[in-house]
Amino acid sequence: MMSGFDAAAGNFLVSALRSSTPLLWVLLGEILTQRVAIVNLGVEGQMLVGALSGFAATLATGNPWLGLAAGVAAGMLLSTVHAGLTVGLKANPFASGLAVWMLGFGLSAFYGVPMVGQKITGFAPLPLGFLSGVPVLGPLSSQLTPTVVLAMLASPLAGWWLYRTKTGLAWRAVGESLVSARTLGLKTSLVQVLGILAGGAFSGFGGAALSVDYTRNWVEGMTAGRGLVAVGLVIVARWNPYLAVPAALLFGGAEALTLRMQTSGVPISSHLLHTLPYLASLAVLVISSRSANKEGGMPAGLSAVFSQSR
Amino acid sequence: MALRAALNRLKRSTFLAALALGAAAAGAADVKVGYIYVGPKSDYGYNYAMDQGRMWVEKNVPGVKTMSFENVPENAEVERVMERMIKSGCTIIFPTSYGYLDPALNVAKKYPKVIFEHAGGFKTAPNLGTFFAGIDDAMYLAGMTAGGMTKTHKLGFLAAHPIPQVLRNINAFTRGAQAVDPLATTTVIWTGTWSDPGKEAEAANSLVDAGADVLTGHVDSPITYTQAAEKRGVMVVGYHADASKFAPKGWLVGAAWNWGPMMGRIIKSVGDGTWKPEHIRGDLKAGDAELTAFGPSVPQKVKDMVLAKEKEFKAGATQLWSGPIVKQDGAEAAPKGGMLAMASLESMDFLVKGVVGTVK
Repeated sequence: MMSGFDAAAGNFLVSALRSSTPLLWVLLGEILTQRVAIVNLGVEGQMLVGALSGFAATLATGNPWLGLAAGVAAGMLLSTVHAGLTVGLKANPFASGLAVWMLGFGLSAFYGVPMVGQKITGFAPLPLGFLSGVPVLGPLSSQLTPTVVLAMLASPLAGWWLYRTKTGLAWRAVGESLVSARTLGLKTSLVQVLGILAGGAFSGFGGAALSVDYTRNWVEGMTAGRGLVAVGLVIVARWNPYLAVPAALLFGGAEALTLRMQTSGVPISSHLLHTLPYLASLAVLVISSRSANKEGGMPAGLSAVFSQSR
Repeated sequence: MALRAALNRLKRSTFLAALALGAAAAGAADVKVGYIYVGPKSDYGYNYAMDQGRMWVEKNVPGVKTMSFENVPENAEVERVMERMIKSGCTIIFPTSYGYLDPALNVAKKYPKVIFEHAGGFKTAPNLGTFFAGIDDAMYLAGMTAGGMTKTHKLGFLAAHPIPQVLRNINAFTRGAQAVDPLATTTVIWTGTWSDPGKEAEAANSLVDAGADVLTGHVDSPITYTQAAEKRGVMVVGYHADASKFAPKGWLVGAAWNWGPMMGRIIKSVGDGTWKPEHIRGDLKAGDAELTAFGPSVPQKVKDMVLAKEKEFKAGATQLWSGPIVKQDGAEAAPKGGMLAMASLESMDFLVKGVVGTVK
C-alpha cells in the first residue's frame, strides 16, 4: 500500500516535470545559441510556429512523432531569419530577435485559425506498467510522456557534446572570442549560424511538445511567454546545459506548486501565488550571483554583444 | 501591436474579396447581419457559441445573410471592422464581446440607420440595444449531474479570474451538486489568465491528483481541460458549448448558450419595425441557455432527476438564488425564505460553503 505522502510526492514530481518540459527544450536551445555569442529573443516566436506546425502535422498524419519533427523543422526555418539578420547582415541581435518573435506570433496566429477546435491523438502512455507498484516512481511512470523523457536525456547529451567533443570545443571558442577563434582557423560565421539553427530546432521541439503532447491543443499565442522566460533562465542555468534541468524544474516546479497549493485549500491569494515561479527564479539568481564568479558563466563573446548594444 | 493590425488588414482584404463574391450571389432583398468575435469562432467556447447562433439565424431566418469576423481586438480596430461591415451592406451588427461596447456606441452615433445589438452591455443608444442571458440555472443542473455521478464527493473547477460572472457559475454549480450530494465540495483553481493551455492542463491534473473525479471550468476554451480529464479517466462537465467530442467517455453534460432564437427574434423585430433599444435578458426558461445532451455514462435515474428540476426552473416553480445561501465563512448571504437581489448577483464577490478556494 502506497502512503499518501509518496503518492503526493510522485504526483508533484510528475507535475513539475510536465510543466518544465517545453521550457527545458527552449532553454537548452537558447543556451546553445548564446554559447556562440548570439542572443535570440525570437525563441518565443519559434516556439509558436513549432507548436502550430506540430499540431497541424499530427492532425494531418495522425502521428505525433511526425508532429514533433514538423515542429523542429518549423522552428529551424524561422530561426534562419535571425541567422541571416545577425550573422549575415550583422544587425542588432535584440532588434532581430524581437522581429522574429513578432513574425512567429503573426504567422502562427494567421495560419493557425483553421486548427482551432481540431482534435488530435497524442502519444500513447509509455510501456512502464511494471513500475506501477513502486512508490513515487509508480504514479510517475503512468503519466510520463515521450517528450518529458527525451528532455531529460537531451540535457546531459547537450552538456556532454558541448564540453567533451571537438565541435563543442569549437563552439565554446567562438563564444569566448570571435577573433581568437578565427585565428585558430574556425569558420566562426558557420558556427554561429549552426548555433542559431540549433536554438531554432530545440525551441520548435519545445513548442510542439506543448501542443502535441502536453495540451493536445492549438491556441493562438499558447506559449504564453515561456520562450522569454527561457531566455531569462539561461542566466540561472549559467549557460550550462547540465544545469538546464534544475533551472527549468525550478520554474516549472514553482508553477506546478502554485496550482497544487490551491487544491490543498491554503488561503493565499491566487494573484500572489502566480508570482511564485518568477520570485523563485529571481531568488536563485541573486543567491548564485553572490557566490559565483561575476559573469556567472557567461561566454566572454556574449558580454561583448551587450556592451556593443549599449 | 502594429503586427496585429497588419494581420487584421490582411484578414480583412481576404474577407472583402469573399464579400464581393457573396454580394453577387445574394439576392437584393436580403438583410445583411454582421457578427464580430473577440476570439476564434471554433474554440468551443464563448465565441463558438455566438457563431452557432449566427449559423442558426442563417439557416432558420429567411432572407438573412450573415458575415462574421473573428479575433478582433477590443480597441479602435473593432470600429474599423464595423465601418467596413456597414460599407458592405450590413444593417444589423452584433458586436459580441463586452469590450466592444464603447466602440459600438461611437460607430452607432455615426451611422444612425444601422442597428447595433451588443452582448451584455449596460448602456443603450437610439440605435443600440443589448442582449444576454443568465446561464446559472443550466450550471446548477450541470452541478446536479456532477453531484449524482461523483464517487469521491470532490469536484474540480478550473477558472480564470474571480469576477462576478465566474463566481456565479462556481456557486451555482456547487449548489446544484450539494442538492444531490450534501457531501460534495468544489475545489477551485485560478489560472490567472483566460487562455494558457499549458497551465490549464496542469491545473486539471492537479485537481485530479487532489481527488476530484468531475472537472469543469470557466476559461476561454474548454478543449484543454476536457481532454485532460478524459486522459486521466475522470468525468467532465462542459461550459459554453457541447464539447463532448473531446471526451467521448467522460462527458457528463454541459451548460451551453443557445443564442440563435434570440438573435432571430431581434433581427425579425428590426424587419417589422418593432425593434427598441433595450436590454434583452434571457435565461434557461426562455431557452437562451440550455443543458447539452447527456454523455453515455449518465444513468437514467440521474437524467430524470436533473430533467425534473429543469422543468421546475422552466415553470418558475423554483428560484436558484433563494435562501438559505451560506458563504464560505458561514455568514448568511440570503436567509431562509429570502432571495439574493439581482444587483448582488451581478456584483457577486463570495464563494458558497463547500467551495475550497479563495476569491482574493
